[in-house]
Amino acid sequence: MLEVKNLTKCYGNIKAIENVSFVSSPGKIFGLLGPNGAGKSTTIKSIINIIKPNSGEILFNGEKINYNFLNKIGYLPEERGLYKKSKVYDVITYLAELKGLDRNQLKKNANYWFEKLKIKDLKDRKIEELSKGNQQKIQFICSLIHNPDLLILDEPFSGFDPINQQEIKNLILEFVESGKIIILSTHQMDTAEKLCSDILLLNKGKSIICGSLKDIKQKFGGLHIRINMIENTDLLNSFFEIISYEVFNNFIELHLMDNVIPSEFLKKLIEKVPINHFSIIEPTLEKIFIDTIKGQTIK
Amino acid sequence: MIKPLIVAKWEFLEKVKSKAFIISLFLTPIIIILFSFLPTMMIKSEDEVTKAIGILDLTKEYFEEIRLNLENQKLSNNIPAFLVENLFNNNLSVDSLLIIADSKVLNDKLEGYLYLTKSDNDSLKVSYRSKSIGTFELISSLEKILNDVFLKKQFSKVGIDINLINLLNNKIEITPIKIKKPGEESEGGFLTTFFSSLVFIILLMMMVIYSGQMLVRSLLEEKSNRLIEILVSSCSANDLLLGKILGLSLLGIFQIFVWIIIGLSLVGTSIVNYSSFENIPLILFYFILGYLFYSSIFVGIGSIVTTEQEAQQITSYLSLILVLPVVFILSVMQNPESLIIKIFSYIPFTLPSIMILKINVSEISLIEHIVAILIILSSTILTIFISSKIFRIGILSFGKMPNLQELRNWLKE
Repeated sequence: MLEVKNLTKCYGNIKAIENVSFVSSPGKIFGLLGPNGAGKSTTIKSIINIIKPNSGEILFNGEKINYNFLNKIGYLPEERGLYKKSKVYDVITYLAELKGLDRNQLKKNANYWFEKLKIKDLKDRKIEELSKGNQQKIQFICSLIHNPDLLILDEPFSGFDPINQQEIKNLILEFVESGKIIILSTHQMDTAEKLCSDILLLNKGKSIICGSLKDIKQKFGGLHIRINMIENTDLLNSFFEIISYEVFNNFIELHLMDNVIPSEFLKKLIEKVPINHFSIIEPTLEKIFIDTIKGQTIK
Repeated sequence: MIKPLIVAKWEFLEKVKSKAFIISLFLTPIIIILFSFLPTMMIKSEDEVTKAIGILDLTKEYFEEIRLNLENQKLSNNIPAFLVENLFNNNLSVDSLLIIADSKVLNDKLEGYLYLTKSDNDSLKVSYRSKSIGTFELISSLEKILNDVFLKKQFSKVGIDINLINLLNNKIEITPIKIKKPGEESEGGFLTTFFSSLVFIILLMMMVIYSGQMLVRSLLEEKSNRLIEILVSSCSANDLLLGKILGLSLLGIFQIFVWIIIGLSLVGTSIVNYSSFENIPLILFYFILGYLFYSSIFVGIGSIVTTEQEAQQITSYLSLILVLPVVFILSVMQNPESLIIKIFSYIPFTLPSIMILKINVSEISLIEHIVAILIILSSTILTIFISSKIFRIGILSFGKMPNLQELRNWLKE
């Protein structure tokens, strides 16, 4: 289990993160979310021991992180790149040996991943000779070749085409199922929504929402329904139950007041407007995020 | 394997395999040989040709004597050094004789000619007229012959015994011999010492500049593609720094090893004298210490650059400091004990080069060696310490180079 407690890091007078806390448990993907500059990178760099936080502590399985902890982490940075002039296997060997992997185990693990990602024939090629997608795959292998207990992925899908994205997604899910901790940092809310069970939403260095995705949706989501109507949407303004609505090409999404009973609202709606679709929907993470930030700004 | 060693192994193997390194490994000694030995070889080979020299003797007294003496001079392969032509002709005026002689020189029929006249006070006046006036060796040998001939002529005029003249002409030449221990000596010519010292200093310079640039480049690559973040999430910044310095030093030692093999294979040829290798162990020792010192500076500085241009600027400034000792070569050789040289031999930047020079020129006391080694070792440790502080933060800061104030803050952290 990874516990981050009251982490604060300042650069001069600027607070990059302030009192950030969260817990990430094995077998789950933890989503670190937020717009650019929210403090995601600073949080990650504190965990992987690249920067020293001004205050707060990071515990791994109850112990403060130290030099030996480095061998248990795998890290895939957002900006990718490897030694262009070097051979694929040499680069993997170097990075794996730095993580304390012995030669025999390295060979086994490397073969496993080469087979799995179907890139066995690239082993002796130079990095610069590979396509961008394949270079990303190699970097992905480098981050988990030593079978880390904690894998930190910073925007892991950027640069992959949809087919490869799916492949990587499956690998991540497979990896976490083996009881590992994964921290996934991204600003793509839909990706996080599909993969993460717990999330931390950061904005301007501060923790906005933290907890399991289910709880968050229940707590912050409110009541959302989707309808399909032909008539003029202006009619919707006459319903006091509707807080806001958003018109899309094929449907309209309504945000209703919390005390509204959907079936009764439907009855009321049909009386005034002919509709051919009505469904209750879960709010997207993106919507929760935007609403929360907007709410904070208004306050 | 401990992490600094893993880094060192990677740095060494990746650089040794690079084409640029392999080319420089063999190109550098060739360039050095060309630069330091070609000029001397050319001067020598120029002398190995018979030269046609004219004599225009208006005094009509010296031609025969000079001709005999000149024609007796032999080259190393036993062929005559000079071919002499008499330019005097009784039927022509002095002016036209000069015109004819000059045109022969200008048309390359003659290398040059000696023009002998009597001055107003009856003493001999000689000039050597040729297209080039830079032929020092030729002129000094002509001077010697003329002085000889002139003396003999004058002395025999006043009736002094010719044997006495020969006796007088027996001049003493000094052979410089460097004493190492009582009874142990080495005969070192100025040129040999000069060039063997120069070669080592140039080697040190080129190696430091070249590998320094390589290091800064690779750091820049690691920084720009954020590989550095993966590295410091696998080992500490100090592991990385130590590994890089170690790897670079290994590379340096490997380079010297190859160059020594090249050098040894040339021993006994006219290019490399055996005496150049006499002080090798001691020279190598200072060489490696100097290399280590400069490498630790490059690692610190390399970590703060963020663009290729900055890297080039910084490495060229450092290279300038490295060139400094070359300026002192002559003065060290002439007076190794002078105050300024003493001062420079205690400054870590110039210490290795000056010591390499001094080893070849004079005997250095054990105490002097110990002091020098202590200075360079302690300053290397100090630079590694400072570099590690800069390195730790420098490798993770992107965008712009830090200013002095920021660097000071880094050092305090």
